[in-house]
Amino acid sequence: MDIPPTVIAVRRLTKEFRHWGRRLLALDRVDLEVHRGEVFGLLGANGAGKTTLVKILLGLARPTAGDVLVRGSSPRRPGTRRRIGYLPEGHRFPGYLTGDASLRLFGRLAGVPEKALDARIPELLELVGLGERRRDRVGRYSKGMTQRLGLACALLDEPDLLFLDEPTDGVDPVGRRHIRDILLQTREHGTTIFINSHLLSEVERTCDRVAILHEGRLVRQGTVQDLTAPSRRFRLRLADGQSMLPERLAEDGWRVVTNNGHLEIEVADLEALNRLVDRLRADRRLIAEISPVRTALEDVFIEVVEGEEHSPGSLENGSRTGVHGPGGDR
Amino acid sequence: MKTWALIVDTWREALARYTLLGFLAVSSLFLLILTFALNLDIVDGALAAGTLFGKAFDLPGKGPAIDTVVVTGQSVFAGMLYVLGVFLAVFATGSQVPNLQHRGTVDLYVTRPIGRTHLLLGRFLGAATLVTANLLFLCGGVFVVISLKTHVWNARFLAASGLILTVFLSYLGFMYLIGVLTSSTPLSIMLPYALYLLSLPLAAHDRVAAAMDSRLAASTIHTLYWVFPKTAEIGRDLTTYVLGKATPAFVPLATTVMFGAACLAVAVVAFNRKNF
Repeated sequence: MDIPPTVIAVRRLTKEFRHWGRRLLALDRVDLEVHRGEVFGLLGANGAGKTTLVKILLGLARPTAGDVLVRGSSPRRPGTRRRIGYLPEGHRFPGYLTGDASLRLFGRLAGVPEKALDARIPELLELVGLGERRRDRVGRYSKGMTQRLGLACALLDEPDLLFLDEPTDGVDPVGRRHIRDILLQTREHGTTIFINSHLLSEVERTCDRVAILHEGRLVRQGTVQDLTAPSRRFRLRLADGQSMLPERLAEDGWRVVTNNGHLEIEVADLEALNRLVDRLRADRRLIAEISPVRTALEDVFIEVVEGEEHSPGSLENGSRTGVHGPGGDR
Repeated sequence: MKTWALIVDTWREALARYTLLGFLAVSSLFLLILTFALNLDIVDGALAAGTLFGKAFDLPGKGPAIDTVVVTGQSVFAGMLYVLGVFLAVFATGSQVPNLQHRGTVDLYVTRPIGRTHLLLGRFLGAATLVTANLLFLCGGVFVVISLKTHVWNARFLAASGLILTVFLSYLGFMYLIGVLTSSTPLSIMLPYALYLLSLPLAAHDRVAAAMDSRLAASTIHTLYWVFPKTAEIGRDLTTYVLGKATPAFVPLATTVMFGAACLAVAVVAFNRKNF
């Protein structure tokens, strides 16, 4: 199948749920594009609308308004979902199936030929670390094991587009790293990956580009590099045995913050930074390190969300709480 | 292959939830009782003596022709199997759609490259094969046991299992509709039983409507009669058919099938439109 450069195109997507006469706006005119081969992260607090967006992208739910194209066609068409992997949040495999039988069932439903399944199922179960438990019933699996089985199921069809909704939910740190490695490996094969998560550090490590969804609106998007671009803040470390009191620098007009034992100094521009170096050298201080401080994605996220909540245009909290749509996260 | 996968999945589910074993156990018990509790002595094509649970029948003079005894007995059994078969089949398949629609499970099925209509009808076909196999075991078993004991082979009795299956499939369509709309296993089982019971008074809809004071109530009774499955009438037709007295009336059977088909069609539409 020829994959267009824009794998996912969302235009003014709106989703409204009605529940006993109450209306709930889960998505509000969302515009989004995901490009071929990209690892895209959708961020948002619980209830921001992330799962609803993913469900619409997979044809599980219908949009109220707007257009959604996945690889150039509607996700409601069964053919569109060929070679798309999906790991749903809180998925539940039929407990009566073994790990092996689960993959065979969903592989057959995906139209994977029987011979390919014979080879691929043991390979995938080994990859996710379930090789020895393949004949156990899924009902006996731990949450982390179920999550890994879900990942194997999502990879079954050798997908060129992979949707992962909270992929590391319930997985221990070792398992999380394992999942991350598998995703990076998958990406090397050219698979476009759409990750839906509120684990920001995971997203920061894995994604090329992210979007932040807040109360159904897309409030920021860009590359991880851009969003976490170096600020005007620099970390300064003097050689061992040398110190510089922050108060003294502050007296000289520098904006200084102490962070984890380091001095972080905010400067207007590089000229100002060099003046500071001159000043320190004039005092015969030996500088061991000067490095720009990058903003963590978590800081960006919190700043954006808090900014939205305090902005006059933001939705009233009460209008969006209390009612949930079919998706746990909306 | 997708349809086959859905049929296999239905069987696995029934096996894992013990509904298949339960159905087979009850059917086997029924067959064992029939095999060991009923003993007949046939002399010159007539029933000379017989015991049920060790107790002898009273047969005045020369007994009736064995053919008459067997066909009458089969007619009674057909009526019993009609009630028991549908009752067990509804119970065995009531959880199918609600289980499919469990949150977290339905996502795994519906996001595969398979149409929702295909998915639902594949499960329906799975349930149909499951119940067909069970009914053939039950009805076929009774047929074989009685025929071997009496050497009277009344094929009408076997054909009656087709009628039982037809009525059940109509109920299955209704169960699928309830399952899709409510995702509730208790409702998917209770409402078909309620419909089953409702068919008893509705079979006498002319007399019930005549006793009504208002024309609206009388019309409602008639409408309900025409819309809902005519389970009681088909049951009566079934027993007379096994006796060889009449073929089942077309209209009750056709309208019952139409009810099931309409319910299944609405279930498919609702399933296709549903947000998960």
